[in-house]
Amino acid sequence: MIYREAGQFKSSYAGDQAIFPVVQDRVFVAAAVAAAVVVPPLLASEYWLQAVLIPFLVYALAALGLNLLTGYAGQLSLGTGGFMAVGAYSAFKLATAFPRLNIIVVFLLAGVAAAAVGILFGLPSLRIKGFYLAVATLAAQFFLIWLFNKVAWFTNYASSGTITAPDRTLFGALITGPNSTPSARYLTALGLVAVFALAAKNLVRGRIGRSWMAIRDRDIAAEIIGVRPLRTKLLAFAISSYYCGVAGAGLVFLYLGSAETLAFDIGISFLVLFMVIIGGLGSILGSFLGAAFIVLVPIVLSNAPHAIGLRMPVALQKQFELMVFGGLIILFLIVEPRGLARLWQIAKEKLRLWPFPH
Amino acid sequence: MKGSAAAPPLLEVDRVSVRFGALIAVNRVSLSVARGEIVAIIGPNGAGKTTLLNAVSGFYRPYEGTIAFEGQDRTRLAPPDVAALGIARTFQNVALFKGMSVLDNIMTGRLLKMRGSFLLEALYWGPARRQELEHRAFVERIIDFLEIQAIRKTPAGRLPYGLQKRVELARALAAEPKLLLLDEPMAGMNVEEKEDMCRFILDVNQEFDTTIALIEHDMGVVMDVSDRVVVLDYGRKIADGPPAAVRKDAAVLDAYLGVAHDA
Repeated sequence: MIYREAGQFKSSYAGDQAIFPVVQDRVFVAAAVAAAVVVPPLLASEYWLQAVLIPFLVYALAALGLNLLTGYAGQLSLGTGGFMAVGAYSAFKLATAFPRLNIIVVFLLAGVAAAAVGILFGLPSLRIKGFYLAVATLAAQFFLIWLFNKVAWFTNYASSGTITAPDRTLFGALITGPNSTPSARYLTALGLVAVFALAAKNLVRGRIGRSWMAIRDRDIAAEIIGVRPLRTKLLAFAISSYYCGVAGAGLVFLYLGSAETLAFDIGISFLVLFMVIIGGLGSILGSFLGAAFIVLVPIVLSNAPHAIGLRMPVALQKQFELMVFGGLIILFLIVEPRGLARLWQIAKEKLRLWPFPH
Repeated sequence: MKGSAAAPPLLEVDRVSVRFGALIAVNRVSLSVARGEIVAIIGPNGAGKTTLLNAVSGFYRPYEGTIAFEGQDRTRLAPPDVAALGIARTFQNVALFKGMSVLDNIMTGRLLKMRGSFLLEALYWGPARRQELEHRAFVERIIDFLEIQAIRKTPAGRLPYGLQKRVELARALAAEPKLLLLDEPMAGMNVEEKEDMCRFILDVNQEFDTTIALIEHDMGVVMDVSDRVVVLDYGRKIADGPPAAVRKDAAVLDAYLGVAHDA
């Protein structure tokens, strides 16, 4: 890095167990969080907040959730969209049934509903692994979307079949609903994501994270040191679905404003899975990098031809975007199959020793 | 002081058979391991040594017979329950968690000793943090003991084979087992690595007072470290006794060398 940790000695295990043991890292992260709180509401245009930053945060939260399940516990899931839908519809039902309930509490309870559904659909994971489990979770995806489409109760019998975020306030400021400002929604999403990311990091570096990774890496050896596979896997499904549920509630309440089941179809499950794979399986940072990649790169690509003075028909440009985007995904996976987080780690290791090769 | 005759054996395997369809991998084998002992289980390939170990650690259900630990029958327990009783083991083909650091690998050995709620752990606060640090301190003792301080942050998958075996031993030791089962702890090692491993096995036995049952092919090692040797052949026990006696046993020579023992 541009700095060295030379002279910083860890004299306690607590110091060594810290998330950011190096002082400069702590300063950098604190500065980044402060900047994320202050800068966008002041400087970013409504377009940036609404079309870039808010979706990035919401998808990052979903990617975090899936990364806990797939990256850490090793259970492949294609049910992310379904679990997000559970969160979104529960949040809608709770918010409309109990208008006085604090909206953050609504989000957290929506996560609980998603966690319960996640446990249910995680039960097959005791018997099946890998691609077969992915197919089993696909059943969750299709069943849940079908359920929310079929049962009108979930949408409060809206004839359009859509759920719309009602106006809700937090600390006197409107943070959801059609009249809320993008800045308020951005800050709410940022707060949620920051807290959830920290909690995820704490989980994966402790007892629970180690039992997940043990199951992922060698389930037989995990059993022999006392990890109970079913309990461990179900906990992974529960916590992962909790994150996805809150992300789903955020998708409707903080980003889209209103949505129908189409917003949670199988495409979103794949999208979040791509984020996790491109960002880096088994990495908290990777979840953010992957979400940034998937959200930002298409936007960059759609503006790139114009920016370099290239004029082309709109239809051609759309095709061009898809081709380059696909190409980039393949390129990244060839260069570093373990994702952007791994690239970042390699860069850090190399820079630490620079200018020496070893 | 090795286990006295009056105390019940730590592990008592009584006429256990394990069958896979028509194949009888372990055939009515009885053996007992006394507290504080180092017992070696030897035998030609396919003799049923690992199968017997798997039955003890709960991966296989014996077809007949009983397995008792500390005088209590525990023939039909699942592997995590066996671990909870205080039996740890290593595997013939190293079964480390390759994606985790050496430190985390060894910390998994403490999982059974850890309690907590995921809410506290998500906050990394109070009891959760204290517990984490206590266990870290214990794990560091084992890291010192096995002389692997330099690699504690290295991902286990990147280590050379000999060190992986040592880390696996560390993980098993972290559980503070009463009985340690080692499945070929020295397979594929060079002479120095074997010597190190022998030293560790003897030290573990003496310092932590851990009872050890190990499977090994290297006869030199077996004769040096073990108090007693059990010989299996085709799923049957053909000898059981001190190393010196077993070495001269006619049935053992027969099984290993295939020589006639008439003259």
